[in-house]
Amino acid sequence: MTDTVAAVTRTARPTTSGVVGRLPEYLTIWVPLLLSAAHLISFSLWTIWISFTPSTLVPVTGWVGLRNYTSVLATRNWNIAFDNLLLFGSAFVLLSLVTGLMLAILLDQRIRGENTLRSIFLYPLAVSFVVTGTVWSWLLNPGLGIQKLVQDLGWTSFRFDWLVDRDMAIWTIVIAAIWQSSGFAMALFLAGLRSVDSDLIKAAQIDGAGPIRMYRRVILPTLWPITITVIVIQLQFAISTFDLVRALTNGGPGIATQLPALVVYDLMFQRGLLGRGAAAAVLMLLILLAVLLPYAAWRHLQRRRANHA
Amino acid sequence: MPITTTRRRLLAGAAATLALPSFARAQGVKPRLTAISQWSAGSDGAAITALGKKFEEKGGIWQHSPVPGFTTEMMNKLRAQIIAGDPPACSQLKGPEIAAWSKIAPTVNLDSVVAAAGYEKVVAPDLAKLHKPGGKWIALPLQIYSTNMLFLSKRAMDKAKADKVPVTWADFNELAEKMKSGGVTYPIANGGTRPDDGQKFEASLAGISPTAYRAAIMNLDKKALEGPEVKAAFAQTRKIADWMDPNVGAQPFATNAKRFIDGDMGMMIQGGWAQGVLRNAGFKLEDFIITPGPSDNSKPVFLLNADAFIFWERKEPDLQAGQALMAKLVMDPAIQTMYSQITGSIPVRTDVDLSGEGWSDGQRRTAAALKDAVANNQAVLSLAHNMAQENGLTAAMIDVLTEYVKNKTIKPEQAATRLAEAVEGAR
Repeated sequence: MTDTVAAVTRTARPTTSGVVGRLPEYLTIWVPLLLSAAHLISFSLWTIWISFTPSTLVPVTGWVGLRNYTSVLATRNWNIAFDNLLLFGSAFVLLSLVTGLMLAILLDQRIRGENTLRSIFLYPLAVSFVVTGTVWSWLLNPGLGIQKLVQDLGWTSFRFDWLVDRDMAIWTIVIAAIWQSSGFAMALFLAGLRSVDSDLIKAAQIDGAGPIRMYRRVILPTLWPITITVIVIQLQFAISTFDLVRALTNGGPGIATQLPALVVYDLMFQRGLLGRGAAAAVLMLLILLAVLLPYAAWRHLQRRRANHA
Repeated sequence: MPITTTRRRLLAGAAATLALPSFARAQGVKPRLTAISQWSAGSDGAAITALGKKFEEKGGIWQHSPVPGFTTEMMNKLRAQIIAGDPPACSQLKGPEIAAWSKIAPTVNLDSVVAAAGYEKVVAPDLAKLHKPGGKWIALPLQIYSTNMLFLSKRAMDKAKADKVPVTWADFNELAEKMKSGGVTYPIANGGTRPDDGQKFEASLAGISPTAYRAAIMNLDKKALEGPEVKAAFAQTRKIADWMDPNVGAQPFATNAKRFIDGDMGMMIQGGWAQGVLRNAGFKLEDFIITPGPSDNSKPVFLLNADAFIFWERKEPDLQAGQALMAKLVMDPAIQTMYSQITGSIPVRTDVDLSGEGWSDGQRRTAAALKDAVANNQAVLSLAHNMAQENGLTAAMIDVLTEYVKNKTIKPEQAATRLAEAVEGAR
């Protein structure tokens, strides 16, 4: 550890020729970073500004205070979308985490054909959400998909009509989203499992730990930083989910599967209410910050603790 | 926004430079039209391409850029062009959106061209009003659909042993029951989209009372919105919903075309475009009947849906000449005939004779219904197809309607209250 710290301090004090020599490095890192930061920040600020204006079809200046916010928060659409987000977000993150971890542990048993299996599980990630949504909308349609298949096989009383059941429809989005992205969780967990210190495992084996105990007490505890990363990435995905719902249920049946991103799009582009749409977008940003800020604080704490050690 | 200003100035400069040669040639400009619409494929695409051909035959340059997909995507392009200070010479736009959009960019005053063609006399008054916000014609309707035409499957009628088309809602309900007991699985063929659900309600209310429809939906009168007619319309909508296939997710109505023709489903409440869809799918006109939607006073009620072009102000003489030519073409009975025969709509002009070849019985009945409805003041503007209110209000109201259709625990009284609240919240 002291060696690396020393190395860092040495490179942190570059000579003049060093700066010139590292110019390409600075250019490749800082220019895109500054550009994208400027983009992100300027557009966010602009959206925040628009959310306080009476803009409808096109952006206009003016000030309406919090009126856009209060009217968005009062709509059934937004309230349904927010409840759905809580349910979808927690169910999706939890279940994709568990599925991903199980897949990773099973793949970690040094089995034959691991590469093939890994590609299969990762493959859904390469498919766009619109495709996922469309395919699952056929599979889950009671008149076309799974329900019809099972009924045609002879189980005529079999029912699986979540897609058209307004209480269960949100779960179809959970199913499709898990199918799509548990491979991603699996890949991260697998990398984590492979990087567990083999000395630790050997020591545990010598102490006579069985496989279940080994995972519970030795291996899984080392995975928790990865778990946090997976949770944060999946959560920000859940908050901004748009194309999947749009293709799978389009917010229906009725407005039962609305999600915040759908509401934003709907307000801005379908209803021609830019101000209210911007207000909804800012509310989404606040939800995202509620996830990302604690994560950033946690990372900061981790680093400080590491430096102390 | 400094960026926009510079860009606008730049564009104005570029446009002026481009326009210079045509100024020099003065009178002899070749009419040119830049147009955007969402019509790119199917019968819509074919119809506008045919219109473009006619434009070129008259010596014009036709520059149509279709924006395929939803109307909103076309609107996004239009918005971007307007903000950039470079609107198309003409674009698709309909209903109250014409008035809304005309506030954000200057439009062309078409009064003299319209007067010269004597067009106002032959257009339904409610429709004319939409195209002249502030009293001046700035847009021209192109074709008309009624959103509450009743399509009857011949095979389903046979199963029900019925030969009379229903006139009132009571007739309609009786026929649906007969179909059900005659072995038609779902008496109503429906899609699961928002306009589909909205259409069921608007057909119910307008059929029960066009006066109440006008007060509640077009004028947003609070008392009418919670009045007995609206509650009755919700009750009728529930009956219709109970006869639908519950398995339809968010698919368009066209998914059920085959089951409808086969008599597995009995009736559709759709616009004339469904005729085009059914024929495109290979079904014959003999397989189904088109008749005006149920009306409790037995006189046809017409729920107007009209596509239109709005004309944006341009300084270039060739574009201005193009706009004049386009306006003349759109109002021409021969052009309207050509257009409607391709898409399955009816002409905007009420003086076009539909007895000739190339028209279907359904189109003839639709046109007759429009004439009757206008005479009896029973032609009203469709809510589900964005004719009655601006998009923001329409969407808020359709939210209530689509939720009601899908959620059978909502009572008609509750739905009426929610509708009034949605209107209040969106205003």
